[in-house]
Amino acid sequence: MSVDLKTKPVALSNRLKSTRAGGKLVADYWDRIFTAPERGATVAWYNGAAINPLFQAIGIEWCHTEAFGARLAAMHLEGPAQEMSEEYGYNRELCSYARTTLGCAVLAKRDGQANEIELAGMEGEKVLASRLPPPNLFVNAYAGCSTGQQWDEISYRLFDKELPLFKISYPLLWGNQPDAAYIQGEEWEEASRYVSAQILKLIEFLEHVTGRKFNWDQLHESMHYIKQAAQLRVEALELCAARPTPATFFDWVASIAPINFLPGDEKLVQYFADVKAEIEDRIANDIPALPNEKYRMAFDGIMNWNKVGWLADKFAERDVAVISGRYTHTSFWHEPQLLDENDPILGMAKHYLLCPFNHNARTVGNRLLHDAERFGLDGVVFHSTRTCRSASNGQLIAAQMAQQAGLQTMIFDGDVADVSFYKDAILDTRLEAMLEAIDLHRRAGA
Amino acid sequence: MTAATDRVNIIVSRLEAVCSDYIAYVKGWKERTGRKAVGVLPMNFPVELVQAAGALPVFVQESDEPVTDGRNLIYEYYCAYSKSITDQAAKQWLDLFDGIFAVDHCVALLGALDAMRFAMPSRLVYLAQFPASMDEQASVDEVDKRMRELRRELEKLTGAAILPEAISEAIRSRNEARQIVRRLFALRRDGAINLSARMMQAVVQSGMIMDAAEYLETMLELEAALADFPPVHDRKVKLHLSGHFCHAPRPELFDMIEQCGAMIVDDDLYTGYRFVSTDVAETGDPAIALRDWYFQRNVNVPCSTRAQKTADWEGYLLQALERSGADGVIILMAKFCEPHMLYYPELRKTFRAQGVPYLLIETEHEGLALEMLRTRLESLVELISKRRAAEASGQSGIKETSV
Ligand code: SF4
Ligand code: SF4
Repeated sequence: MSVDLKTKPVALSNRLKSTRAGGKLVADYWDRIFTAPERGATVAWYNGAAINPLFQAIGIEWCHTEAFGARLAAMHLEGPAQEMSEEYGYNRELCSYARTTLGCAVLAKRDGQANEIELAGMEGEKVLASRLPPPNLFVNAYAGCSTGQQWDEISYRLFDKELPLFKISYPLLWGNQPDAAYIQGEEWEEASRYVSAQILKLIEFLEHVTGRKFNWDQLHESMHYIKQAAQLRVEALELCAARPTPATFFDWVASIAPINFLPGDEKLVQYFADVKAEIEDRIANDIPALPNEKYRMAFDGIMNWNKVGWLADKFAERDVAVISGRYTHTSFWHEPQLLDENDPILGMAKHYLLCPFNHNARTVGNRLLHDAERFGLDGVVFHSTRTCRSASNGQLIAAQMAQQAGLQTMIFDGDVADVSFYKDAILDTRLEAMLEAIDLHRRAGA
Repeated sequence: MTAATDRVNIIVSRLEAVCSDYIAYVKGWKERTGRKAVGVLPMNFPVELVQAAGALPVFVQESDEPVTDGRNLIYEYYCAYSKSITDQAAKQWLDLFDGIFAVDHCVALLGALDAMRFAMPSRLVYLAQFPASMDEQASVDEVDKRMRELRRELEKLTGAAILPEAISEAIRSRNEARQIVRRLFALRRDGAINLSARMMQAVVQSGMIMDAAEYLETMLELEAALADFPPVHDRKVKLHLSGHFCHAPRPELFDMIEQCGAMIVDDDLYTGYRFVSTDVAETGDPAIALRDWYFQRNVNVPCSTRAQKTADWEGYLLQALERSGADGVIILMAKFCEPHMLYYPELRKTFRAQGVPYLLIETEHEGLALEMLRTRLESLVELISKRRAAEASGQSGIKETSV
């Protein structure tokens, strides 16, 4: 029987079911943010590291505006925010994360009272981008990127410099001294102490601005849950070293939001316990993430939010299991052994410094080689992110290190939240070329 | 041409020659003195520390050469400066420096620095990062620490102790040169000297490269020669040039602006007033004085690479326009310069609100389309001329601010 290739079902990945619950938790989180004004709640807008346990302990709502930009892009609803930012004067080459979110800030500022507006051409539709409630205060906690820091400086100006703003500064983990290595050396320890001291200042600031007492017991409690959840996540990530892998990088992308900004509580722990259980179940019952896993890859770079599902299919179609990623595996409370839940500030500072874009190029390359080893990878896909210099820094060096270690590499053009920078044809051609190279290499080895 | 004009032209040509081949200058200096040279990155490096160690501090300059070897290390969508310095490192041109040091934090600059470290394994490439947030005591303390660290590392590199007296001496000589250059800016602003933008840039940029004593001597000579330099006679459209961080705009661009019937009366370019805006205090502990200089520079001429709640670039620009009487602003933005792109709408908002005519020009490393720019520049000049004419006849109708 001949098969019509056009109608042949494409082998897609078997995504984890348990991550759907995360989607619900995250949607609830945003609904809570949207309704904050009617509840009279104080809202902090913040960017960068997961400082949410501090807000939780002072009893205010935390709105990770950057994550909102990502959410809009993932839902393909970034258009109105980006149009607004263009109208405001932002150049298209500027970080599209910042552009999207600043577009939301302009919308929130314009309509602080009514909270929802309609844009020309979209009459009758509720524009999600306009639903962020105006902030009561800002905290900037962006490591590794000057744009990330400057972004809130601009938000502060957009709101006429009338709201309190606190900034945490992080040194890039550059590694001047011979003892410097990943989470090692005096520079690392010194940077951790420097950031810890700033977190304590942030607590003073929050107390001052809100007039409330910081609840240390609450912090210990939420860090207890976060540590548990983080431990489960890391264990589950490790399980994906199995061949074939039970879950892919794209499943882990779905779990970023929960670990990044949901409250530290039992629900968070349960979520990661369920994810881990599903992965264990898959291993026990030989259920792979891909029906025909043939190649194993790492994904380097920041996420490309408008294309997550599309990319997942693109790789799955070619039997490529993308297993690890810089964004998913080297971020978000990923070294839980550093957390002391009874005295959490130093461990929190360490994680904030461990933003995946706050490393020097050699460390990026070395972490990649480390992942290649532990997950048995054939190659690395680099997402060259047009408007994110921070994620792009060091990629070409890491690629050279990977090639020297015998890994195949490819680079594709995309962006964090601006779909117009994608070059589909280039991705296809380069992916084909890389897979051919791996095949050749395997044949030569056999 | 008068003898004074001749003298000035000869001095400025000497400075232009230094700027057009800074590598040759450094080579010559090293051969002549047998001492070390340290490449430093903009925009806030305290060069006095290097000078006090007996070495030559040189701000690594953008090169005119196309970016080739550097493409293996840095993507195309980086600013011209970061691409060019990476390329120069990849071509091994920067190996003539005994070390490369940086204190700034722009994300593109740090990417370039890391690529340079990879390309120059035989050289120390050192980052003593100053926090860019200027509002906190923690930042002040951190800069203190970083200054001490810099001093220690420079001592190691040069093998010379950096004594407080030597730092003070470096501060004094550099202050004196800065003061002369600021006087030249004031003379230009007042129309007392007809110094072209190309010449003005050579005066500042050469100070980023040359030996401090030689530079000071040249500035003294230049100031004396300028005493008889012709003043400005005609009533051309007066413009302020703003922005362009880290590297020098192409002088041909300045020539084009001037050919379109405008004159540059002031600027806040990095290779302009921004660089010389602030002296280092000459009393007290010189290390503390250098630290305070870092914070004061951003108050004197705010920069969007810094985060400071109380410093507003747009406010500074309005004051600068008031002081110089400039009719409008040309914003020069290096393509892909994140800190500038992010701040630009704040500038635009202010100019629109205040009715200040402005034009945004993006520059690139290769292929500046001068002829296309000419039309836009002519439109700006025309807009301003019409406004002037309307104002002279008592009308106040022209509200447009951009072309
Ligand atoms: S890290 Fe990338 S996405 Fe984040 S602020 Fe910087 S440029 Fe934007
Ligand atoms: S501040 Fe602008 S010009 Fe300077 S390195 Fe950064 S991006 Fe380039």
